[in-house]
Amino acid sequence: MNVAADVIDMKTGAPRSAPVVDIRGAVKRFADLTVLDRCSLSAQEGEILTLLGPSGCGKTTLLRCIAGFLTPDAGEILIDGKDTVPVPVNRRSVGVVFQSYALFPHLTVARNVAYGLKMRGMPAAEIETRVTTALATVSLTGFEGRYPSQLSGGQQQRVAIARVLVLEPRVLLLDEPFNALDAKLRGSMQMELRQLIKRLGITAIFVTHDQEEALTMSDRIAVMRTGKVEQFGTPEEIFDRPANAYVADFVGASNFWDGYASGGRVVLPDGQTVATGLSGEVRVMIRPHNLALRPAGPQASSWTGTIRFRRHVGALMEYEIGLDGEHGLRALALRDGSTASLAAGDKVSLTLRDAAGCIVFPRS
Amino acid sequence: MTTGFHRAELLDRLGIGVIVALAVIALALLLLPAAIVVIMSFDTRGYISFPPAGFTLDWYYKVFNQPVLVNAMLTSIKVGVYVTLLCIALGVPTALACVRGDFRGATALSVFVLVPHMVPGIVLGVAVLFAGALFGIGPSIWLQSISLATYVMAVMVRTVMARLQRLDPLLEQASANLGATRWQTFRTVTLPLLLPAILAGAVFTFIEGFDNLSVTIFTHGYRDRPLPVELLAIVQNTNSPLVAAVSSVQILLAMLALGVISLTIGLDRVNE
Repeated sequence: MNVAADVIDMKTGAPRSAPVVDIRGAVKRFADLTVLDRCSLSAQEGEILTLLGPSGCGKTTLLRCIAGFLTPDAGEILIDGKDTVPVPVNRRSVGVVFQSYALFPHLTVARNVAYGLKMRGMPAAEIETRVTTALATVSLTGFEGRYPSQLSGGQQQRVAIARVLVLEPRVLLLDEPFNALDAKLRGSMQMELRQLIKRLGITAIFVTHDQEEALTMSDRIAVMRTGKVEQFGTPEEIFDRPANAYVADFVGASNFWDGYASGGRVVLPDGQTVATGLSGEVRVMIRPHNLALRPAGPQASSWTGTIRFRRHVGALMEYEIGLDGEHGLRALALRDGSTASLAAGDKVSLTLRDAAGCIVFPRS
Repeated sequence: MTTGFHRAELLDRLGIGVIVALAVIALALLLLPAAIVVIMSFDTRGYISFPPAGFTLDWYYKVFNQPVLVNAMLTSIKVGVYVTLLCIALGVPTALACVRGDFRGATALSVFVLVPHMVPGIVLGVAVLFAGALFGIGPSIWLQSISLATYVMAVMVRTVMARLQRLDPLLEQASANLGATRWQTFRTVTLPLLLPAILAGAVFTFIEGFDNLSVTIFTHGYRDRPLPVELLAIVQNTNSPLVAAVSSVQILLAMLALGVISLTIGLDRVNE
């Protein structure tokens, strides 16, 4: 029966290919602290999976368990259906790109990339061919003789990637690989790396605390908090249908409006209604771009506030609006004539753009 | 207001002047004795005196034509090499155990290594002499090497430990992740990165092995008299510039050693 469950998806009945990485109820404790609390996840062939969460949520611990630097206290981590726990670090077909890259400072770029092949005792001629190919893959041809200290951060990262890719690992693990890069380079490297991984068809698991990075890079995202997986789904699912207020808040800034549901709906201060199956005290998630601002005039809705400050975010303008007796709300608007005239101190009225974009959570 | 400002600026300049003056004094203290020894070694008179009365290379000729002195120099070089090899063979694993060891007393061990160096050399010399007798090792080039290795082991251990502590542990994890065994990782990552520290330690252990008198005087072999012991005898019995010439040769050797280090690993990396 278990076999059937593995091969056929119980919900859809569709045949399901076996996952490359399958984490089943992984637990890791350090003294009294439970860092991983029954984590279950799986990554399919060629999928880019992201572990997303704030520092201390256990995402890096999980990554280190998959790599074999740590052993889980309970649960299983399977790669291609085989338990990895008895396999020593240096025998796992798992390549790690470290946050600091961990390039060998005393070896040239070529010898860094050749390192793993050399440890496997591959003939020198074959190593050379493979290193040349790997460096070409990451566009670093001509850098063979340089030392890591002579490279920029972006180039170092590409050496670190080439160093594991040359070994053709079954799984690629990346621990916050963009942290050490400046903001502008980060964006282009994210796109580049995603395209590279997709082109090579490698299964990759990627750790980050940056939700934008996760949304850019991933096929699926596991949002983690205090050792638990809060939600596991595609970027669209995570962003549009967050499982709870934590996920809604962590992925894409959110406003929360506390209200009362009855008769299958919640009425917002501007008079619009949001449908819900809940009743009683609820918390409504409203994305900042879902709030429209207008200067408060004679026909103002009953939802008004004062602009506390505004912030330029590229083509958008972000406003923080103070409401009476409540914490502020954030609104995001395209910069056009109507919003450009709004400044701090102005009274504005708020309206919801799209009631379907709101999610109602129980208040606890 | 302006006078106050002027006074502050004046004090600043005075402060810089004082620092420069102290630096010059320190440099003079460091270099003058060596310079004077070198100058005296060229004196034509048969006794040590300053300033010299003439210029001759006779003393150098004599140094290299006295089998006793040449043998003493060779003995001291041998001891320096033995001490250094012993310190590398025993000190590097000790440093690894102190820093990476996951056992009770790892910290105690790192402190304990310092003890022989804090005991006065003469005391250590006598102690090793008696201990050697217990194991049937009499005063010899071997006992001398062992006693000096004990004496300066701390330098090697501490230098290597300092480097190890600053070594990124991720480098070794990366090596394991790339498929290297523990031994492969040690040989290809850890050891090469420790090499500057080992070389820096080796310079100090060699010099101590070559030059030490206090420990050596009790443990050296009577047939293999090392240079410091031989020089002491010459100074006690005669007063010729021969000693100055031997010392000058040593200074030259030390400068050559520093030159080699600065050309290979770089002087600024010695203390890393």
